[in-house]
Amino acid sequence: MEVRLTQLLRGTLDMCLLATIAQQPCYGYEMVQRLAQQGLTLVSEGSIYPLLSRLQQRGYLEGYLIPSTDGPPRKYYRLLPKGAEQLAQWQAEWNNFAQAVSQILKGAHADDNPRSVHPQPDLRPQ
Amino acid sequence: MIILDQSTRSQISDLSEACGRYWELRGIAQEHRDEMQLELEHHLLQAAMDAKSPETVVGPNPTAFAEAWAKEMHPHALRAGALLLPGLIYALSGISTTAIVELLLAHTSSFSLTLFTAFMLGGWGVMALLLPLAGFLAVRMRTRSKRSMLLAAVFILGALVARLSGMRVNWNMTLLSWSWPLTLGLAVLTVGLACLECWRRASHERTFSDRLGKLWRSVLTLTGDVVLFDLLVGMSSVVVFNACALAGCFK
Repeated sequence: MEVRLTQLLRGTLDMCLLATIAQQPCYGYEMVQRLAQQGLTLVSEGSIYPLLSRLQQRGYLEGYLIPSTDGPPRKYYRLLPKGAEQLAQWQAEWNNFAQAVSQILKGAHADDNPRSVHPQPDLRPQ
Repeated sequence: MIILDQSTRSQISDLSEACGRYWELRGIAQEHRDEMQLELEHHLLQAAMDAKSPETVVGPNPTAFAEAWAKEMHPHALRAGALLLPGLIYALSGISTTAIVELLLAHTSSFSLTLFTAFMLGGWGVMALLLPLAGFLAVRMRTRSKRSMLLAAVFILGALVARLSGMRVNWNMTLLSWSWPLTLGLAVLTVGLACLECWRRASHERTFSDRLGKLWRSVLTLTGDVVLFDLLVGMSSVVVFNACALAGCFK
């Protein structure tokens, strides 16, 4: 179960990070905490950094240092217009995908096409 | 939130230093490397204050974590090659200092670079380059002393295995031999390369005054490091040479 969740999260983490930053600029540890508050616990918290770097290289995010009172300066991330466009596109894709999966799981497609209904095997003991 | 003890702080600092050295070897630009290291150290500190282990941040394999991040930062082999220049400076300074000291003490006209001297210089060079990477072990071994003991044990075990398997090496074998003029030439070349390295370090600064300040600091740092390296190589060579002589390795 945990492995499946990890795989699901891996495929969507970049989108989740963009969405988190879109709400408010934040730094790495804060992002992990916000994701955890929403119920997404990362196996390795540091896995966000390669993704943040990738998003930054693609021009979706911008990083900037802010002096901190309790230690070294913190690197905050904020969303750039290109990142907002990409997030909107990913959200649309995700909504379509999640809707399709939900329908499959509910068995809604079975009613749409009667030809696809296969006879059920008789599992009663003979 | 908990207050961190010295051991946890050094564990975090060693781990982030190991990542920094790994990124340096992978050829990531210094300005990016510094920022990445700062970000990681900050995260590790905050996680530790929330009673989380470094493993929850970097995972069970810190090298894989460092590599995953490095891949996203466009590493450049040529930039990693820049590490060769300080390495060459240390090696040349070690050889030329050894040659000058030997020529002065033994009053000979020529210097012979033996396999032992080459081994000591190479060993120190590799250690200086790779020792910070031992910080990756910080995830499994909390204290620095345990990690040092593990490394020493690996080294001693390796030497014992080589000895027991009957490996014999002629440590006095002469690899190269040269006289005074070439020794002086090597010393001049070392100084020239050191100037080049200081200029390279200072060239990243934007303003003239910053460059001048950085150049001055680089000269002082590099000179101090090279002198320290030569002293360490010299002292350790004497210790290892005598220990090997007592153990009968030079028969």
